[in-house]
Amino acid sequence: MSVIARQPVLYAIASFSLLVGCRAERAKPADRRSVSSPHRVVALAPNLTEIVFALGAGDSLVGVSEYSDFPDAARRIARVGGLEVDAEKVAALRPDLVLAMAEGTARGAVSMLQAAGLPVAVVPSGSLDAVLSGIRLVGARLGRTEEAERLARDLERRRADVARRVAGRRRPRTLLLVWPDPPQAAGGGTFLNDLLREAGADNLVADRSGWPVLSPEYVATVPVELLVIPDSEQTREAYARAFRSGPLSRGPVTRARVVRLDESALTRPGPRVFDVLEKLAESLS
Amino acid sequence: MSAAAPNRLEARGLVADYGAAPVLRGLDAAIPAGAIAAVLGENGSGKSTLLKVFARVVAIGGGDVRLDGERLDALPRRQTAQRIAYVPQSVDLVFPIRTLDLVLQGRAPYARGFVAETADDRLRALEAMRACDVEALAQRDAASLSGGERRRVFLARALAQEAQVWLLDEPTSGLDPRHRLEFLETLWRIHGERGTTVVLVTHEVALAGDLATRVLLLKDGRTIAQGDRASVLTAENLERTFGAPFSGRGSRFALRSAVLPMGSLEP
Amino acid sequence: MRTGAIAVGVLLLVAACTVAFLVGGVHLSIADLVAGRGEEGQTARLLASLRAPRIGLAALVGGCLALAGAALQALLKNPLADPFLLGTSGGAAVGAAGAALLGLSPLLSPAAAFVGAAAASLGVALLARRGGRLDLQRLLLAGLIANAFFSALLLAAFSIASGEAARSMLFWMMGSLADATPRKVAALFPYALAGAAVLVAAAARLNLFSVGEENAAALGVDTERTKRIVFLASSLLTGVAVAFAGVIGFVGLLVPHAVRAAFGNDQRTLLPASFLVGATLVVAADAVARAAIAPVELPIGALTAALGAPVFAWLLLRTP
Repeated sequence: MSVIARQPVLYAIASFSLLVGCRAERAKPADRRSVSSPHRVVALAPNLTEIVFALGAGDSLVGVSEYSDFPDAARRIARVGGLEVDAEKVAALRPDLVLAMAEGTARGAVSMLQAAGLPVAVVPSGSLDAVLSGIRLVGARLGRTEEAERLARDLERRRADVARRVAGRRRPRTLLLVWPDPPQAAGGGTFLNDLLREAGADNLVADRSGWPVLSPEYVATVPVELLVIPDSEQTREAYARAFRSGPLSRGPVTRARVVRLDESALTRPGPRVFDVLEKLAESLS
Repeated sequence: MSAAAPNRLEARGLVADYGAAPVLRGLDAAIPAGAIAAVLGENGSGKSTLLKVFARVVAIGGGDVRLDGERLDALPRRQTAQRIAYVPQSVDLVFPIRTLDLVLQGRAPYARGFVAETADDRLRALEAMRACDVEALAQRDAASLSGGERRRVFLARALAQEAQVWLLDEPTSGLDPRHRLEFLETLWRIHGERGTTVVLVTHEVALAGDLATRVLLLKDGRTIAQGDRASVLTAENLERTFGAPFSGRGSRFALRSAVLPMGSLEP
Repeated sequence: MRTGAIAVGVLLLVAACTVAFLVGGVHLSIADLVAGRGEEGQTARLLASLRAPRIGLAALVGGCLALAGAALQALLKNPLADPFLLGTSGGAAVGAAGAALLGLSPLLSPAAAFVGAAAASLGVALLARRGGRLDLQRLLLAGLIANAFFSALLLAAFSIASGEAARSMLFWMMGSLADATPRKVAALFPYALAGAAVLVAAAARLNLFSVGEENAAALGVDTERTKRIVFLASSLLTGVAVAFAGVIGFVGLLVPHAVRAAFGNDQRTLLPASFLVGATLVVAADAVARAAIAPVELPIGALTAALGAPVFAWLLLRTP
């Protein structure tokens, strides 16, 4: 029996939807009408949930996105829908702050909530820089500027450390796959591309923007040295199959080094991404 | 049925549907060999359907139909197609087809499997076209032919089929006087040469009066009268068939021709 | 005429296969393939081993779809008939979607698609029965209804599908020859051969049908049997094609049209020529799909639809 996907494939689906023309445009910037220290917060994406918890404001959350499972405490909070935001549920929780993702939360949902008079903060997340400013923004809206600044500075320091360590190192030719069959990779302009670059890898498809679906021919012949794949319960079998008999069973990719990273940490633009950055940089050394 | 040999075509208590509704409801018909039989009736009386049953286009729903004394539905289709040719009232040609190929389709009942037409088939087809005066149209797309030309092409096809029975559904409908005459003259000539049994469906009384050696009057899926021209074509019978008043010569008109005999309703 | 048409078809197919073999996102060096050693030789040979079955599959699938389309157009006396009109593609898509939703192994996808196609064809045929006979007009309508129904089912399935299921459904619906293997080609071949043999054998009868069903009956054809056989064979060809390659539209509709315009409507020429031209078309389309925006692959079904629809519109506009 298949399980309704958790966030693990959120990015894949969201970006794939972009590929097939669904609209998930940039929403309008933060709304002015807000409470200085909100205590009924709804987070519409799992990374936003994580950020709120990271700022120590976890108990102000009254509603979270479907796939919010980190930290454990998040599992106990009421769900308000996944990719499709259940606006009614959100409104019923009477939040005094709603956090939405700039990329990924449907603009329609955001407009609807704003029209209903709810204060909505749209948080950017498209790059590592954006993640950091996003943390600061959420901190400001939660009235936790100090915690946010502390967290952001800590993450920046770790990021700079990594940058120092990887400087001058040889960059292995890398592919980061978000899906095995058909093989879909992280291309340029994505925050996963930033991650690869800062961890010291050379993303083979950096010149293709978005999330290119690669032809089996390409995957079988490209001289890839490092393969980064997300690891999660749902996708393990699919990747195994791809390695056994699918697009990853032929050519140089079979001799490439495979680094498996926890999917939820890898694909959610939140504080854990920096854990992944460090881990990846370490694997490359 | 006074002939010693069985009738060429015979139906007894024939029942048949065309589409949803029953059209033939217990029809009797006897058509002797070599006759030119005109089947007259209103639209909806079942005359086209009768033809289609004979042609094995429509299935027999009940009753008996015989070809030369044998049950029609017991005969192999190939065989009946070699003996009975059907010329429909109109054919909608959706795809391009060369006139010669259309006539060659008449040889289909003789074809063996996948093989193309034999030289013999082509010969017969061209001969048939010559006899019907459409040889010049052989290479043209059949869809580009006029109504009259197309009727004669289908006649040529029936000829190529070498059938002993021709079933013609309203063969003169929609033809202007010249083409009508050409068609009828061709038909008459060929009938004279080969003794083909012709069953003609029409609602033109005059046509029956001019040509037929046997007349069948149909109404509501049944035969109300059949026999020779003189005895069947009476004002009373015609009135019953068509529900319109007929007088001895009143509603008749005939084309004058050097070839066709001009029969008349002599009392 | 016939040998000329077949010769042209074969030439086109050979040309297409050659080009398709050489072309693609990744450059294939013949030198490396033949005489290369080490890394280059290995890569070239790997590439060749990927492309060859893909071309084979493309040719078979294209041929099956075009042949089925040609036969149906003759049977239904309708130049707009298309194998997908009869609900087969919808059924196949639902079959594959069902398998994906149930979490079955993707290896079972083709089988599930074929079961779906077969069920759809049978259902449509039953719907079109009238007094024990197969009513060709109703067949078209029943097919349209079936497709509409299957589309609705697919959308519903798509909306509740998990990531993996949704992806496989979507790529399958857009057509893909990406995972072609020699084994798949070998599996498809006997079905293609069987279906093609049946249809080509019925060519003379189909000639009669293209003037009309009554025409065929009056000339001695057992029309019920012919209808059943042609419909079944066409459904078989369409079902297996879709099962192995997903939905690749317009081939069954346009290839017979083109061949008919060039060589006339004699089914004994049209059927084999359509097979060859259909094969050529899909091989060529697949080459474009691989090469156009490499290393990304265009979904081939989207390609044939994008090209097919305007061509079809142009055809419609120019018929008087």
